[in-house]
Amino acid sequence: MRFSELWRLSGTVYNEVSFQSIFSLRAGSLLKQRGKTDIERLVNSARVNALISKVLTAIFIAVFGLFVFIPSTVNAPWTLSRELAFVGGVSAFLAGVLFLIAFMGLQVATSFVSSKVVDVLGPLPLSKNDVSKIVFLCLLRVFDLPLISAHVVFLAAYLAIGGSILGALIAVVCIFATEIFALVLTIGLADFFYSRVARGGRSKWQVLTRFLFMLVWILPTFAAYFIMSFSGTIVQSFASFAQSLSSLLQVLVLVYPFSFGFLMAHATFPSGFDNPSLGLSFAASIGYVAASVYGLRWIAKTAGRIGTSQIVARKVEAMKDTLIRPRIPWLGIIQKDLRVASRTPSYASLFLLPFVQSAFLAVSFSYGEVDLTKTFGTLVGVSMMTLLLPPTLLSIEGISSAYVKSLPMKKKSLILAKTSLSVGIYLLSLIIALAVSLYRRQDLSLIATFGFIHTLSVSAAAMLEVTILTNRFWKEGFAVGNLYSRLSNYILILILGFVVVLLPIVAAFTAFILAPHLVLPVFAAIACVEFAVMVAVASRVS
Amino acid sequence: MEQLAVKVEGLVVNYGSFIAVNHASFSVRNGEIYGLLGPNGAGKTSTIKVLAGVLTPASGKVEILGKSFSNEVATKSQIGYVPEEVVLFDSLTPREFLEFASSIRRLEPDTVNPRLEKLTSAFELGQYFDTPIAALSMGNKQKVAIIAALLHDPKILIFDEPLIGLDARSSKILKELVTFHAKKGGSVVFSTHIMEIAEKLCTRVGIINKGEIASEGTVDDLRKLVKSAEGSLEDIFLKVTEQETGMQDIIRALESE
Repeated sequence: MRFSELWRLSGTVYNEVSFQSIFSLRAGSLLKQRGKTDIERLVNSARVNALISKVLTAIFIAVFGLFVFIPSTVNAPWTLSRELAFVGGVSAFLAGVLFLIAFMGLQVATSFVSSKVVDVLGPLPLSKNDVSKIVFLCLLRVFDLPLISAHVVFLAAYLAIGGSILGALIAVVCIFATEIFALVLTIGLADFFYSRVARGGRSKWQVLTRFLFMLVWILPTFAAYFIMSFSGTIVQSFASFAQSLSSLLQVLVLVYPFSFGFLMAHATFPSGFDNPSLGLSFAASIGYVAASVYGLRWIAKTAGRIGTSQIVARKVEAMKDTLIRPRIPWLGIIQKDLRVASRTPSYASLFLLPFVQSAFLAVSFSYGEVDLTKTFGTLVGVSMMTLLLPPTLLSIEGISSAYVKSLPMKKKSLILAKTSLSVGIYLLSLIIALAVSLYRRQDLSLIATFGFIHTLSVSAAAMLEVTILTNRFWKEGFAVGNLYSRLSNYILILILGFVVVLLPIVAAFTAFILAPHLVLPVFAAIACVEFAVMVAVASRVS
Repeated sequence: MEQLAVKVEGLVVNYGSFIAVNHASFSVRNGEIYGLLGPNGAGKTSTIKVLAGVLTPASGKVEILGKSFSNEVATKSQIGYVPEEVVLFDSLTPREFLEFASSIRRLEPDTVNPRLEKLTSAFELGQYFDTPIAALSMGNKQKVAIIAALLHDPKILIFDEPLIGLDARSSKILKELVTFHAKKGGSVVFSTHIMEIAEKLCTRVGIINKGEIASEGTVDDLRKLVKSAEGSLEDIFLKVTEQETGMQDIIRALESE
């Protein structure tokens, strides 16, 4: 089959994968209950969402290249070696690109790996080879903009700081290798998840495996966040460490992405390093390029396995009994949500984001006292991140709406379950912030006092969001397509939640300026009132 | 006056500008097995979804054991529902899914577990009890939905094409369970395309066509109505839904190729 024909077919598969990853799989069979125009709108919306995700990743890469890579290499402190700062800058950029592409890819990868669209391609008069090529081209479509932008941005940034032609050629190779590593990481994790982790099992070992895998799954998120937040510090720390500890150089020169960094530094500043380090970085880089070529072949092979439906969810061993342990309704909903999230990476990563945010904020306290400003900053960050959760939690109900809507579920049980889970995640985030502060031997009293009182505000805000969304979508269903297709509604509800959590903080800050002794009473009073009002409102829901 | 198990009056369901059910009215008595028959796209599934409380109608009156869906928790507690397309939580196992459904229904472990054991054994689902639903065959997914519908021993069973995907053994068991349920005084509303089953199983049938109840009654009533006393339910169905006209010509045209 001609390449143009394969490319055209891969476009159809790509559109279907985008649709499945965003709407169809999470809409239960509710799609059938929508009019033709409405479904067409959803299909277009899925296309636009996929494009926005790619454009955002490309923009992040561009911003990272222009505002992090260039400044870190050009404006390195005079005490640091220019060459080592350059190595640090290149390495940070490559690592950033690796994790950003992996982070974006993981949002669609399980849909891609488990894609049912190949079931449609299979019976068509296409050879296995053609199906594999279509799946591979579809994979390229998923990542096209970020892959292109990484090349363009890195080359442009490198040439902007006065790089050499040889260095530019090496830059193309390192970005190519990095992109392949990102794709291998994404497809590998999704393949492993779908075929081995996304299965049942009640044993503690299986639960632990799922939990560990989820932690691995959010590693790219964590790493991308970390590198983008602290790249300047990373570059400087790396350069000063390497400068003071020359033996470290001999090791780092062998490690990805530093080997590429050293090689590009050699090509840019030929007299900067000695010959042994040049030889080692060259040899290591050749090794990594070879690994990336092997990775590319593995991706093509995996595309073939997807194309021939060889990736299947594994079955577990026979069960011992048929006993079940029903809970009270709201606990049953929470238990189900946690189970679904533990086997659905896109949900799990959203569950874990507040923890990551909390840990970073606590780390970013740097040295010195944790004052009121830092405390309020942490509470704002963690509470706002937590408030992104309620719509996601409600969208879990949409997965099986066509069945769940027949169950005698009360609105109150749903509101209580989703609010409790959101608040539970907030409290755990707070405990993580406290643990990090404790480890750094900082004063915990302010975060502990204000953080726990702020739980009342966070509860009120989560309850407000869940109540509005529940009333709005109870009859229509909580499919992702409903919750997120009207962004204006969604953003408005989030803003309301943010206002509730910000109110006691703004009031306390005002009190801090006018009458410092009233900070805590004002903060606590407003949080209590918010909670009481929302409990009264939610209890009237029928 | 006897309380009806299901009462539908002037039911209208639309999707955008498309009218799926157009002023349909029928009723089901206690102890009755009511079959809803109709060609593809006739409005059977939409009607069934409204009865199960999954779909809100545009207009019309629906009562389950004398109660409307304005008190949906109480009404839904009386119903066991099996959808046409079984879309459950794929990442859960049958055990976890049934645990969730039982939690929402507030079932006690002491009541639910003996019943669950009998049902899983009857439908031979035990060996898949800890397997993710995503990995189950269509038939086994159907069994999970059927067990979930029967677990709380509801008064009314609402099944949409329940036998599709089931093996012969499970199909036979389900038919026996449905008959036994009706004998106990419970009611069953189910849609099917399989005329023989409707003929053998149903106390009464309603034939729905283009969103309207075209004909209703026992199979004998319908035979009298369409003046085809010897005809099978399939013949009656084709006549009532006006699909018989020209069918012989179509078959001949196909055979002549």
